[in-house]
Amino acid sequence: MKEPIIEFKDFSFRYKTQKNPTLHDINLKIYPGEKILILGASGSGKSTLCNCINGLIPFSFEGEIKGSCIVNNTETKKSSIFKLSNTVGTVLQDSDAQFVGLTVAEDVAFVMENDVMPRSDMLPFIDKNLNMVGMREFVDHVPFQLSGGQKQKVAIAGVFGNHVQVLIFDEPLASLDPQMGMTAVALIDDLCRSEEKTVIVIEHRLEDMLYRSVDRIILMGEGTIQADVTPDELLKSDLLKTYGIREPLYLTAMKYAGCDLDSVKNLSDLNSLELSGENTAKLKNFFTEEREPVIEEKHEPVLRFEHVSFNYDGGRNVLEDINLEIYKGERVAIIGKNGAGKSTAAKLICGTIRPTEGKIYLNGTDESGMTIKEIGENVGYVMQDPNTMIVKDIIKDEVGLALTLRKKPQEYIDEKVNKALETCGLYKMRNWPVDSVSYGQKKRVTVAAMMALEPDILILDEPTAGQDYKSYTDIMNFVNTLNKEYGKTILFITHDMHLAIENTDRAIVFADGKMIRSDKVFTVLSDEETIRKAHLKQTSLYTLAVRLGIDPEMAIRHFIEYERTVKTHE
Amino acid sequence: MNNRFVINYTPGPTFLHKLTGFTKVALFMVMTAAIISTFDIRILIPLLLINVAEVISMKPNYKPITIMFLITFVTVTLIGNIMLFVVSPAAGLNNVGAEHILWQSGRFYLSKEFLWYIFVVFVKRTASFASVMAFALATTPSEFASGLNKCGFPYKVCTIVSLAYRTIPDIANDFINIRNSMMMRGLELTGKKVSLWKKLKNTVILLVPMIFTAFGKVGNIANAMDLRGYGKNKKRTWYAEHDASKGDRIIRILTVVLLLLTIYYVVMYRFINPWPAKFWCPWLQPDEIQHINVFDTLFFMKWFKK
Repeated sequence: MKEPIIEFKDFSFRYKTQKNPTLHDINLKIYPGEKILILGASGSGKSTLCNCINGLIPFSFEGEIKGSCIVNNTETKKSSIFKLSNTVGTVLQDSDAQFVGLTVAEDVAFVMENDVMPRSDMLPFIDKNLNMVGMREFVDHVPFQLSGGQKQKVAIAGVFGNHVQVLIFDEPLASLDPQMGMTAVALIDDLCRSEEKTVIVIEHRLEDMLYRSVDRIILMGEGTIQADVTPDELLKSDLLKTYGIREPLYLTAMKYAGCDLDSVKNLSDLNSLELSGENTAKLKNFFTEEREPVIEEKHEPVLRFEHVSFNYDGGRNVLEDINLEIYKGERVAIIGKNGAGKSTAAKLICGTIRPTEGKIYLNGTDESGMTIKEIGENVGYVMQDPNTMIVKDIIKDEVGLALTLRKKPQEYIDEKVNKALETCGLYKMRNWPVDSVSYGQKKRVTVAAMMALEPDILILDEPTAGQDYKSYTDIMNFVNTLNKEYGKTILFITHDMHLAIENTDRAIVFADGKMIRSDKVFTVLSDEETIRKAHLKQTSLYTLAVRLGIDPEMAIRHFIEYERTVKTHE
Repeated sequence: MNNRFVINYTPGPTFLHKLTGFTKVALFMVMTAAIISTFDIRILIPLLLINVAEVISMKPNYKPITIMFLITFVTVTLIGNIMLFVVSPAAGLNNVGAEHILWQSGRFYLSKEFLWYIFVVFVKRTASFASVMAFALATTPSEFASGLNKCGFPYKVCTIVSLAYRTIPDIANDFINIRNSMMMRGLELTGKKVSLWKKLKNTVILLVPMIFTAFGKVGNIANAMDLRGYGKNKKRTWYAEHDASKGDRIIRILTVVLLLLTIYYVVMYRFINPWPAKFWCPWLQPDEIQHINVFDTLFFMKWFKK
């Protein structure tokens, strides 16, 4: 047996500013060349665990360590962050912040610069590292020209600068579109296998990580290790539900179909998992069984694009000849890769930019005659990061801001604010300082701030980004209530295929400035060409249906219909 | 993104662009010292021409440069000179050393030397503007940082420079997004009906989320830098500081020559054999020049006299 490269013994850690330890009773051995997935909900301690390995703890975040953590035969607390960085390379979640150089080459050279390596020695390393991640042609690019996925590749090349043995990836999939995410998972896997590195990935997107095999999964919960198992064992247990991790869709489908999971071999790999005759029959039955279709009512359109094109200062068209209608009470997912024109479309709806050609009608009125402020009374735009929207100290004031700015009488403001707070489940917290609530609650505050103006349309930009399954479910339930009970039209701008499947009726797909598809979610997600053009990814349901020899579109549709009946009965 | 703020992030193709950061920073520092050291038009004009030639040689996008020059420069100079004319018409006498009056009306008068004075100051400012432009156009922020470091500044100071440039476009982007969302909520930031004061006041509201997002970013960047060994050693090398070429050696020699000439000029014409007034003037002989105590000519000084 090889010596472990990382070893925790009765380890615990408490942040200086906190009363209770964030990590406790950690006993863990990681061997060279292993690929480990650390799974856990927000606040489970998974990031803290990794910061103990790379030295951010205790050298950047102070606190109290008990027990021992040995990395590459050295006790971390007696080492230094610099010494540890020679062994452990960390790719942070925010690949934008990680990009400190002003060009790709400079960023990759950063480690070597700090090691006082002469420039002539750096060049071959830069070349080799960029080649490894497939970014060699981009050597002179500046960060502003790169997509999220490309920045992440540069970040990987950047931590390779010195000969690290362990690579830590902190939520590598957080800001990538589905296809880029898939590429990232494949790249991480290749690095682990061909470069013989020990790889530790922190993620809560289990299904996406299982696209390539993982040796071991460490499930974190409540500051300690809850399970240290193989992926197959984990999927067969009910630990996922207990610790708030979303299970893969195909697994959900198998459970719905009543399959016996204990006997399935290779459960964690959809391509090689063995389906017994009995399970196959159950699944086929599940996917083809006719159910009551969801009844649809067509309402009048609230929003209409007529031949809309847009460009900045006479440049290339960012959006070209867009025609679309959005109906009252609809839930629509606007999907497409970064730079495809999704956000531009949202900005056009909000009136912060105006069409170069064509017209946009809001409730039948041409938007070109309306000010941003007037449009704001009908359209509420909720940005991805709530911190970029909050300007007041107290929740109540934040929610009432739009009305205060419109100089409404105080009683009127109070009435609307209270109503919005109640709708959003924040009434009890109305006098709390905004800083004292969690990220997910802040998100609610920003939605409530929009609701105070009683808009018809809510646009949510990546509502679930950076959140675990539990707060994801909370937010989506809340948004669905706004839709069902208050009749709000909801537009989601999102990369998240789960979100689209579970919570929307229609998907509008953008690619290269054009609207390439507008159809039912299951139709869009089973169309190979659309998936490729929009940088989406086939869901595991698609793959499962293909394996069973069933029409994927029908399979996804039946799954959605079944899931919605289950949800309404819950 | 290139040239939108006259900042280049990647080196351009011309001779000056290709120099190393050290050469550029050194040339800029010596050039600035030379321009500061003198009010002598016989030296300022060649310096101005050199810098203008540098700017032209880089084939820049003239639009932002012209706008900057017209708005910040010509306007300021114009307003400044009118104020000067009103407040201190004797500026010519004080600095050039004589007065040949061209026009007079009561307390206000215009002298040949006053015009000479504002002309020389304008040339001097234009020369510094051209020198700053030449430097800004030629240098990427990373070259700036590495060049400064090589000139002897501590590297932690130098990285601040390049990090600032790294984050400016991101912050600008955040600002636009935050502004848009606040405008939808009804904050009035544009439009003819809104007073300038109100626009300013409302912009201040935007600072809260701006600062919070910026702080979050700072923490992340600091961690990212720590994890990659920033601050490990007393020195560091720079990828941006490429090897010196033949062009670099020529420019470095010229820089040294310029430096020596500047020192020679200052020693010679300021201390050993000084011209009797601050400004050299073609139509004045040294014996015509009067020495004036500057304070005597300020219009409010009369109240303090006696």
